[in-house]
Amino acid sequence: MKVEEFEERVKGDPSFSRVSLRISLEGEILFLEGETESWEQVVELGHLAAGVEGVRGIVNRLWPRGLPKPERKREGKGKAAWDGMRADVVVVGAGIVGAGIARELSRYELEVVLVEKEEDVAWGQSKGGASWIHGFAGLDVDPTSLKAKLCVEGNALYDEWAEELDFSFKRPGLLAVVMEEELVPLLEVAAERVREHGCPVRVIGREELHRMEPGLPPEAAGALFFPTYGVVAPYEVTIALVENAVANGVKLLLGTEVIGVRVEEGRVKGVITDRGEIFTSFLVNAAGLYSDEVAELAGAPEFTIHPRKGEMLLIDWKRAGACLHNLAPGELKEDPYTKGGGISLTVDGNMLWGPTAQEVPYKEDTETTKEGMERVWRKFSKYLPSIKRTDVITAFAGVRAATYTEDFHIAPSRKVKGLVNVGGIQSPGITAAPAIARMVVDILRKEGLELREKVSFNPRRRAAPRFRELGDREREQLISLDRRYGRVVCRCEHVTEGEVVEAIRRGATTLDGIKFRTRAGMGRCQGGFCTPHLLRILSRELGRPVEELTKKGGKSRVVMGRIKEPFLGG
Amino acid sequence: MRVEGEVELVVVGGGAAGLAAALKAREEGIEEIWVLDRNERPGGILPQCIHTGFGLHYFGENLTGPEYIHRFIRRAREEGITIKLETMVLRLTKEREVVAVNPSEGLLKLKAGAVILAMGCRERPRGSLLIPGGRPAGIFTAGTAQRLLDLEGYLPGREVVILGSGDVGLIMARRFAMEGVEVKAVVELMPYPGGLGRNVVQCLEDFGIPLLLRRTVTHIHGRERVEAVTVAEVDGEGNPIPGTERKIPCDTLVLSVGLIPENELSEGAGIELDERTGGPFVDEFMRTSLEGFFACGNVVTVFDLVDHVTLTGERAGKSASQYLKGELPPPRRVREVRPGENVRLVVPQRVSGEGPVTFYLRVSRPLREARVEVGGKSFFRKAVRPPEMLTVELGKEEVGGLGGEIPVRVLGKPLG
Repeated sequence: MKVEEFEERVKGDPSFSRVSLRISLEGEILFLEGETESWEQVVELGHLAAGVEGVRGIVNRLWPRGLPKPERKREGKGKAAWDGMRADVVVVGAGIVGAGIARELSRYELEVVLVEKEEDVAWGQSKGGASWIHGFAGLDVDPTSLKAKLCVEGNALYDEWAEELDFSFKRPGLLAVVMEEELVPLLEVAAERVREHGCPVRVIGREELHRMEPGLPPEAAGALFFPTYGVVAPYEVTIALVENAVANGVKLLLGTEVIGVRVEEGRVKGVITDRGEIFTSFLVNAAGLYSDEVAELAGAPEFTIHPRKGEMLLIDWKRAGACLHNLAPGELKEDPYTKGGGISLTVDGNMLWGPTAQEVPYKEDTETTKEGMERVWRKFSKYLPSIKRTDVITAFAGVRAATYTEDFHIAPSRKVKGLVNVGGIQSPGITAAPAIARMVVDILRKEGLELREKVSFNPRRRAAPRFRELGDREREQLISLDRRYGRVVCRCEHVTEGEVVEAIRRGATTLDGIKFRTRAGMGRCQGGFCTPHLLRILSRELGRPVEELTKKGGKSRVVMGRIKEPFLGG
Repeated sequence: MRVEGEVELVVVGGGAAGLAAALKAREEGIEEIWVLDRNERPGGILPQCIHTGFGLHYFGENLTGPEYIHRFIRRAREEGITIKLETMVLRLTKEREVVAVNPSEGLLKLKAGAVILAMGCRERPRGSLLIPGGRPAGIFTAGTAQRLLDLEGYLPGREVVILGSGDVGLIMARRFAMEGVEVKAVVELMPYPGGLGRNVVQCLEDFGIPLLLRRTVTHIHGRERVEAVTVAEVDGEGNPIPGTERKIPCDTLVLSVGLIPENELSEGAGIELDERTGGPFVDEFMRTSLEGFFACGNVVTVFDLVDHVTLTGERAGKSASQYLKGELPPPRRVREVRPGENVRLVVPQRVSGEGPVTFYLRVSRPLREARVEVGGKSFFRKAVRPPEMLTVELGKEEVGGLGGEIPVRVLGKPLG
């Protein structure tokens, strides 16, 4: 389809009769501007435009008439703490992708600065992501796409990452289960397509399926088995990457938002943050949901992120035995609301059900909905009938950063030298992260960044001890070294004070920071018992009053004040 | 497992049930009693319940939570009962091996002659209700809010909406009001308040706090801190009615939506649990399905009154002592208690028939001029309501005459 054909098609379609649309093509970037009737139309037109020949990116500036635009407050914090800092490379975004890139860059003699707008790392997509390390990018994905290629490469690299960085990684495999006998013959056809991606797969008959996964209902007729599917906790991987990167010299700037990019004579000269300007010639844009906006700040828009919300349910680890593999529904009829999703095992023994996939106008929309939660329950409960509603601990929602070409956009900017965009990293982005990191370093080298290997680079990072996972002897040893490992503060997850103190030492400054490092508050009581303990420890270790402590930074204060002075008498 | 010490009686949990059990066992002559408690102070939840209303039945006095429990703590200390604080039991086995940990001694591995389970209950969190919306700071369970307020001295919020009008929710409404916090509303799903009439008057009406019946919270607004909640009316099935939503600005949502007996340890040991109560099946001796294990208090089923918790504790303490001395009558002719019409749950679920039995039960729907039937015996009550636990007592002779199964039902006229 040529641009003119695309234009004709839109004009000829009566459902777009009230759309005002201006199209322009700059190089390989197609720009859409104007107003639509609804958000669905914005997304539909964006996807349609991606079919135009030779187009590499869609910048979709359409917006529905009457819908308020998202407010983006980018104001200076007044403290120019980083003013005058110099870096060889600035990486924006401390999610799994940005952290992976920063850690890869820390192998070389470079000044690397990792900038993150949130108070902690992994608080965007990486916090909300499901846990799968995919074997391949999906049946609906073109095997020649960047997504498909980096997914398979990334999967293979995970063993090395897990070994070096000491995060939990398991390969329980995935069963894509069909519930109707008549679909069983189609499994072989699907398997052929999977093999084109370079992913091992095997067709499993009814009997073997029930032996492998006894919790399935009798209707389960067969499955595709993918032995290389793994699970991680994406935030744990991100934290491990950042810790290792920082140990190897990367500067981590938290609570720092990029509000501008200094470009002179077509090349990056600096990054302007709300805490001052950092001089650099290379900018890696791994800003996730905001990667399109960072590119825009550099005056080089090449793609637009359309937020795609996903809702998930978390199941108590009491039910860990109910499911032994990751499960995906093998259904012929496409569910328009979920392109994928499944039942994921987590490294901690929980299950995650979902996610849904819903196009939303606002990137900040991480609210759960009744419909979404119901949909997840209805869709997946039939695969594990032993799970009860009361086994659901919590629900949450995250937003994926999709581009209209629905592929990763990893490339140097055509317009601004020194800017490398790493955008549109949605599923299977966690899987692809190690491959993305290598690819980006290669791009930087080709763009002129000098890479000299650092002799002192240490690829290893040690995880903090987890009381719950230790044997009795190790527990005794730990307590004899530090008594605080004998004080259990989170009773659901058996997290000790020692672990909380260690998490704070490693960078946690908020309740969520502690939670994602230790699991305190992640269990079935959801922080009911441990919150007061965590506040007290956090206050003591940070030397800050409890009233100032937050759940997740910003205005998320946990308590609103004091009622009385503590009793100090004897 | 390497066992380092043998202890006659181990009580897991040092709240009202556990302390009563330990004291009774001491009275029965048991020498070595260890109470293991995960908190930094004994007493369970009572030290933070600074309102009155405790002890009316047991002591015939109106006490606060700390006053009530302090009597037991003091006696336990006088009696030389070992209370190990900050001691978290990590696992229990069928063979009555107890693995616990505390900061001063490290891992403790004990072999107990008998074990009394008295772990109490915990609150249902937001996740169990799946309330849609954001996940900001400012969502607390009533117990967490109460602890922050009454033990730690912090104000959880300034403008509060409370979901759930059980006694806990009502008392928290008053507690907040007394600290100058604006309680915007107490929201209740049912057409009637969940707590005692007396508490509705003293905690809400006296403070001008609105009680919104037949309504629920359908959305939590806010990204960083709670900014508002949406409250909607519900139909007969408890489903929100579209078009009735009302947004109430507030900075805090307090959830008081039910308690769950905490039985992870019991489950781990392989003790049979009753789905209705969430606690172990027990007989009139508070004996569980596993030999040498007894249970009492809120870990068995959630009681309304601490006085009853204490009584079940004493029963368990006595039974465990008899067991240790070889005097507990074996369960010879066990009769199953069958919850029938309008009975949501009943404890004990099994009766051995060797002594008198106190039945504790809850109904599913409210009735007036009600007749509680237990194995053919009838007890009359002016009115029964789901939030109020009913107790009926049968003497040894009455129990002896009951057949193989004991049906329990509650009949009467519809309320209102």
